[in-house]
Amino acid sequence: MTKKDVRILAFESSCDETSTAVIKNGREIESLIVATQIKSHQRFGGVVPEVASRHHIEVITQITKEALDEANATWDDIDAIAVTYGPGLVGALLIGVSAAKATSMATGIPLIGVDHIMGHIMAAQLKDEIEYPALALQVSGGHTEIVLMKDPIHFEIVGDTRDDAAGEAYDKIGRVLGVNYPAGKTIDEWAHKGKDTFHFPRAMMEDDDYDFSFSGLKSAFINTCHHADQIHEELDKYDLAASFQASVVDVLSHKTIRAIKEYKPKTFILGGGVAANHGLRDRLAEEIEKLHADIKPKVILPDLKLCGDNAAMIGAAAYNLYQAGKFSDVNLNADPSLELPYAESMLK
Amino acid sequence: MKILSITTATNHLSVALNDGDKIWEKNEEDHRNHSEHLDPLINELLKENDLTLKDIDRFAVAEGPGSYTGLRIGITTAKMFTSILNKDLVGVSTLAALANGASDGLIVSELDARNKNFFAGVYRKADGKLENLVPDGHYYLDDLMNKVKDLGLSEQVIFVGSPIEKYQDEIKDLLGSDNFTQDAGDNQIHAGEIGKLALDKEAVDPDKMVPKYLRRTQAEMDWHNKTGKAFGPDSDYVEEV
Ligand SMILES: [Zn+2]
Repeated sequence: MTKKDVRILAFESSCDETSTAVIKNGREIESLIVATQIKSHQRFGGVVPEVASRHHIEVITQITKEALDEANATWDDIDAIAVTYGPGLVGALLIGVSAAKATSMATGIPLIGVDHIMGHIMAAQLKDEIEYPALALQVSGGHTEIVLMKDPIHFEIVGDTRDDAAGEAYDKIGRVLGVNYPAGKTIDEWAHKGKDTFHFPRAMMEDDDYDFSFSGLKSAFINTCHHADQIHEELDKYDLAASFQASVVDVLSHKTIRAIKEYKPKTFILGGGVAANHGLRDRLAEEIEKLHADIKPKVILPDLKLCGDNAAMIGAAAYNLYQAGKFSDVNLNADPSLELPYAESMLK
Repeated sequence: MKILSITTATNHLSVALNDGDKIWEKNEEDHRNHSEHLDPLINELLKENDLTLKDIDRFAVAEGPGSYTGLRIGITTAKMFTSILNKDLVGVSTLAALANGASDGLIVSELDARNKNFFAGVYRKADGKLENLVPDGHYYLDDLMNKVKDLGLSEQVIFVGSPIEKYQDEIKDLLGSDNFTQDAGDNQIHAGEIGKLALDKEAVDPDKMVPKYLRRTQAEMDWHNKTGKAFGPDSDYVEEV
């Protein structure tokens, strides 16, 4: 007897992407629709929450139909409806949450609320099988965390940012360099054309915890640019980008490698929007390759198109919750400051 | 025809089932967002009437103006219901629904948007019929009162919606009369009134329905004033990748 396939239709609307997807067995993308609002928010130099919410509601029914059509599915083929319910912008989250609940009510298909960060990490599951325990470095505009997982649904944050997230620092220095929002991709490209000549600080790199801080780096960067401005000196933008990125990547990879040595995970996962950064991907892969065979984890770097916000990753994470019987009710609400479900401590 | 109606436009959450002349309505004073309570309230209403969503012929929703986040919860829900179940979707003006619940007469239907700003429309209600005299819009109090005055009417003006107590003196000055009053009812939007108004309205495409905010966001206005650029259609700013 063959086990029945599980198909999940997922919604994601936590920030400036409205997305739907149909995911088979938590591993296979049968359809993925992403409606991006970047063009709109570029007018303002960053995401305006009310504008984001207005765009989400414009496309929500349309992209739901498209996700089903592209997967050649009908509602009868769908086993669960998944939705990001936090963290994120509350007004934006509410579109996905309202849509998913209404879908569940109209079809009778059970509902699963998913943590957005869990989704980013589970983008890895769409590329390769995750063996547990696993360790993830989750880097995005809102988060910079080292997360330990004993299984697909129990997470423990072992390191966190004390101030700015890495992605946020990218956007802020992007503004100083006159790079249009979102700045990450351009800074990454420039960094490859320049050299680390400015030697910005590597905050907390040698501390023995796994926490991060990027506000000092951001200030050092801005001060350097302002000072040059005052004395009418032109700085090389490629070297500036390279120096900034070298500092970020040094700290992230240094702490990650130390965490791998301590926790000895079977799989290492890179997740979040900044996981698309080539400098970071290359460096982590290289550093892990140097590790002793006994502690060298399998490395999963998600596909570039799945690093940004998308519903496929939410469908992947929802499959794990489905298998564990973790369903939600129609009184599910958006939770803008949702935190990962905390596991019993794996820190011994 | 069975009509299920929803309003999440203000703090007052209301759902109703209209079937012919009969109305079953549920109301909740809900000062947080309505996300948690809307769907359970709809389920209760359906259950008490031994119905499921599939038995509903037409879904009606307060389409604005109102709280932006609130409106989107109700409208997203109604859009999904109708898109999935292939049912009629009808949008009804929040202010028309509010006016329809007031006494007969000349009605200023209004929601206080602070700093002497109002989302408002002027209506006449007589013999169960509602007529719109001043279109729904975002008005300063003096503009709104001038528009009422321009109607050149001598009858009493009934305000329904937000309390007008604190503007009493100003309204008297602007209208040049003290022949006005707050409606004697509860001044809330009732889904049953939405259901009544939805009966004759033409159904709309769920993919196309968006809230009638009646106001651009501050960020958009700032961008427009700074660049002098015109607003493109909303669809210009969102693309599938
Ligand atoms: Zn994200």
